[in-house]
Amino acid sequence: MENYNSFTLEGNVAVHTRLLDAPRELVWEVWTNPMHIKEWWGPEGFSLTTHAMNVEPGDVWDFVMHGMGNDWNNRIEYTEVVKPSLLSYKHSGDAGEDYNFNVTVTFENMDGKTLLTMRSEFKSREIIEELNQKVNAFEAGKQTLAKLAQYLGQLTK
Amino acid sequence: METRRDVFQAIADPTRRAILGLLALQAMTPGAIAAKFDSSRQTVSKHIQILTECQMVTQEQKGREIYYHFNPKKLKEVADWVSQYQRFWNQKFDSLENYLVKIQKKKK
Repeated sequence: MENYNSFTLEGNVAVHTRLLDAPRELVWEVWTNPMHIKEWWGPEGFSLTTHAMNVEPGDVWDFVMHGMGNDWNNRIEYTEVVKPSLLSYKHSGDAGEDYNFNVTVTFENMDGKTLLTMRSEFKSREIIEELNQKVNAFEAGKQTLAKLAQYLGQLTK
Repeated sequence: METRRDVFQAIADPTRRAILGLLALQAMTPGAIAAKFDSSRQTVSKHIQILTECQMVTQEQKGREIYYHFNPKKLKEVADWVSQYQRFWNQKFDSLENYLVKIQKKKK
């Protein structure tokens, strides 16, 4: 069987696929309606507020994710909209222009199910490497802190 | 639902983490690994299979025996941003999947 739930990274492009057991008109609807999208978009434990959503080329979805004691501003600018088969957008966050990326989501009908393909294109491979290093450093830092805490725990016993 | 095999799934289970801990010290045969656990040999071999599918361990044929080696490269991936991005979207797609099931049930 072909693998419809996949992830690949080639150069500066990450590609996710997922076969969803729902007609694509419905999948399109839950991607483009603020009432639906808030039910699944946010990471676990996050809630989502939509300031504006107008799924038209050149228009935006302006939203805030609330979680981990913070508000995270996000802006998605739609570049191509072909209902119900293709959605392209530019994603901008608080981190700065270099970290913005372009996403193309396609919705394909497969015997009543929907094959979703999400292609995220980052500025460059270097940006991805930089992010990897930052996260690695962050994780290493966390481990160091955990070890330190453990060590201090032993000392005070 | 199809099971997805990734590094995060591999390390989510305490037995699998224990197996990785053993293999990090030395390469072992399936029999030697199973002997370290109370669980049945079948259960342990299922865990080894999952670890192999996620490439957390590699196999090496030595004569008649198969030896399992720990693959540290794969574990490092857990800390990579790319893996986090992958996991982030896998979770979103899981939640999208669940939501689609929920609203389609309501309609029926």
